[in-house]
This record gives sequence, structure tokens and C-alpha cells, in this order.
Amino acid sequence: MARLPNAFSDLDRFVDEWVLADSSSRAAKRQESDYADIKEFYDAMLALAPDALRYLSTKQLGELDEAEERLLKLLLSLAELGPAVEWYQQAQVIDGFPAARFPIIRQLSDNVPQE
Amino acid sequence: MSAQLSSADLTLRYPELGTGPVPTDIYWQPEFYERELDAIFRRAWLCLGRVEEIPEPGDYLVKEIQTFDMSILVVKGKDAEIRAFHNVCQHRGNHVELKPNGNCQVFRCPFHGWAYGLDGKLAGVPDAEAFYDLRREEKGLLPIHLDIWEGFIFINLSEQPDATLEEFLGEHGRDLVGYPFHLGTSTFEYQGVVKCNWKCMVDSFCETYHVPVLHKNSVTDTLAGPNNPFGRLIDVRLKGPHRTSSVVGNMSYQPNPVQGLAFQYAPGPSITSGNIDESVTLPKGLNETRADNWSLDSTVFFPNLIMVIGSGMYFTHQMWPLGPNEVVWQMRGYLRAASNAAQRFGQENSLVELRDAVLEDGNTLERIQRSLNQGLIKEFIFHDHELALRHHYHTVIEWVERYESVR
Repeated sequence: MARLPNAFSDLDRFVDEWVLADSSSRAAKRQESDYADIKEFYDAMLALAPDALRYLSTKQLGELDEAEERLLKLLLSLAELGPAVEWYQQAQVIDGFPAARFPIIRQLSDNVPQE
Repeated sequence: MSAQLSSADLTLRYPELGTGPVPTDIYWQPEFYERELDAIFRRAWLCLGRVEEIPEPGDYLVKEIQTFDMSILVVKGKDAEIRAFHNVCQHRGNHVELKPNGNCQVFRCPFHGWAYGLDGKLAGVPDAEAFYDLRREEKGLLPIHLDIWEGFIFINLSEQPDATLEEFLGEHGRDLVGYPFHLGTSTFEYQGVVKCNWKCMVDSFCETYHVPVLHKNSVTDTLAGPNNPFGRLIDVRLKGPHRTSSVVGNMSYQPNPVQGLAFQYAPGPSITSGNIDESVTLPKGLNETRADNWSLDSTVFFPNLIMVIGSGMYFTHQMWPLGPNEVVWQMRGYLRAASNAAQRFGQENSLVELRDAVLEDGNTLERIQRSLNQGLIKEFIFHDHELALRHHYHTVIEWVERYESVR
């Protein structure tokens, strides 16, 4: 079984590392990642993100199959890494208050429909 | 396009505040902190959350007010009324409800099983006959004054509030009525403890003079930008103890690649996008000068709540002091609901950018506090566009002196 929708199979190599449970895990993963890995993921994702978002914009949260949900979670990891590349060119916020001292305590679900 | 900025002196509009330096003792002295607790935090109306958090009868929240080491139960009754009580069993003082939220018909103390109705009345006492003088009507949960403004739940810890919530919010509250707060149903929250005075933290979110420097890597281009090199504000308005700063947006901002995709798929315009949701009619108190380069208002509900409101989303900072130089910092985001799966990506960008941008503020606050604690900065001099900070100083002094003069 393909782990991602067919048009996005090029991203399969990132599934093991960047499909994560929730916002909290994504934030933690960014903190512990090398910037080179972040940049590699960012570049590969960015190339396909417009198509992936167009694809997911026709779907509803709560109705995604497993492959589609993995694709969404890759995009959510891209959202976490966006500022690392676009603002800081490093994993952490420059002179940032430690992220671990300001954790997320109430999260948006990645798969529950919103109203 | 030239930025629409206030050219007149903002501070001179309020001659009672003066223009001189203010002493810094109130930002670190333990003795003054104790006075603030009595005069301000035990007297003012304090926000605890939103009505959407407890939509059904029997829904409840347990809120820990760390400033007073106090546990408060907020519950929606069978009559749909929302009430607040001290979460304290009137038998021996154990906490009645231990979960942070849920739904129930009756609160049962996990110590000896005393039971309380949703209205706080004592509803059941196991083996009641064995008590000598049990007067049930006197043993209900201790009520706390509660009122609601635009869906926000406020409490007041005094025995008899000096003013109703409506009176307390006054013109400030009236001028913000009508903003679609209820659309911000997709919520998230961050929480941490910062080693700084609560007032310094409030202040750091009320001026943008620091934005071009401290936030140069992140939001400078969106909130200050080339037309506003010194991070000037559009306007500052003071209403009673409350205050609002109107912040510039860069309408010609060119987003970064991922950010741009996120803006495209956000359920409402992101607060830093330079885009405005034209379908939202702003109430009088937001972007009050109706500037065409507005992005957001940072509006302080005295003493400890800041709402940062844009046309398509809003978020709040709330500060609960733990001491003169330590504060619990809660940041809650209120985003519009995602109407498709791709908009979840736009939402994630909003919360990540917001978090990263405010992480840039934290270390500075702790360094300022160290300098204050060491007595190395005896006075603050305020820029004209730091008017909100000057007003904050004077408001705190006024509240403490007024309370102590009538005591």
C-alpha cells in the first residue's frame, strides 16, 4: 500500500521522520533536528506543497484516508519548519526564550473536523 | 504608500500622565507586589476563559489561579447560568473536582463523598446523621462573583466588587462590542513561567518601538516595514484603566514561500499577512482612527489580559504573577475553523509564527528583570509611542493608592 497519495510518492522518504503525532511533537522534532535535515525537508516539501494543498483543499478534516492524513501531517511539519528556514536559518529562534519553557498545552487536532 | 502614523504627540493628549521619567520600584519591590495583590488582583475583574469552553449544562472547568494558589470551579448549570465557586469542599477543605474539565451532574468530593449540585448547593452528605450541627444551607460551595462580556468569562475575587463588570470595562468594553469573537472557535494555548514582573510582560506587548530591532528576523517587515522604520504606532487610546495600541500593517508585504502558502490557506487573514477581512465590520474601538494600513490592535483589559486582535483572528496573553519577579504567561490563540483539510496548514503556520515571534521577547524580559532587581535602572523614560506603558504605571499607582486610602 502506498503511504502517500500517488502524486506525492516522492515524499515517501520523509514519512518515517516527519509524520508526527501533533503540534507538540513537531515542535520538539524541530528543536532536535540538524538544520541541514530541516532544509532538505523544507526544499522537497515546498516543491510539492502547492499541489498538496490544492489536493487537500477538496477534502475535509475527519474524512481523510491514511495516506492523505500522512500528507497533511508532512505539511504541518513544513509549517513548523517554515520560520526555521525563512526567519532564522537555524532550527531555533535566534536569542529565543527556550521553547521547552513555553510548551503548547492545548492543541488543535490534526484530524477532527472543526466547526 | 506613506504609512499613516500619528504625527501629533500621543502623550500630550493626556497631560495628567506627564512626560517625565517614572521610578522603577514598582517593577521589582516585594512590598509593592503584596500591595498590588490586594489592591488590584483581589479587586479587578479577571478573565478566565470563554463560554464556548462549557457549552452544555453540567460542563465545567477547573481553573488554577496560581497567583493566589487558588482552585476555581466554573460550571454551567441546568438553568444554563454559568457560575464560579471555590473548588473547596466545605467539610474538610479538599478540592471537590480534580479534573481540569468535564461534564457532570453532581460534584462529589473524593475525600468523604460530600456532593454538590451544579448550583453549588450541598446535595448529599454520607452518614449525615452522625454530624451534630450540620446546616446544609450554610455548607454550599463558596461562590465567586462572575459575569460575562462578549462571551468572555470574568470573575471578581472581592467580597463585594466596587463595580459591575460592565462598569469596570466601561467605554473600553463598549467600544469593542460586536467584534466576531465567537468565530475564533479553533483554539490553542501555550503556557510558561518567565522570571519577570507581570507589568513588564504586559508592557512588552503594548509598544512596537522594539519591533524593528528585537523582531528583525521575524515580524519587522509585516508590522513595521520600510514605511515605518522606527516601529511607530497608528494610535494609542486610554479608556479608564484599559488601553489600546493600534499597530501598522505592511499592505505590500511579500511573504516568504511557506508563509505565503499558509496565508493563502488560512481560514481568516493571518494577523501578520497585511491582509484584512473586509467582511468584518470592526467596532468603534478597533482601528479607531480607521487607518488604511492597520494590522491589529493590542488592547489591554486591566490588569492582566491583552487581546491582540486582527480582522481574521485574535489571540490573548494573560499574566498571572507568582511574585514580584516571576509570572505565569498564558498565550491563547482563537482561529477561525478550517473549512477544509488544507486550512489546517494555514492554522499551524499561525500558531508556529506566533509562538516563534513571542519567544523572541522572553529572554529580554528576564534580562530587564535582572537589571531591575540589581537596582541598575532606577527610572524608565518612555518614548511617546510607549504611552501605554506610562499609562500602565499611573493606573497601577492609582489603583493601589485609591484602595489604601479607603481601607
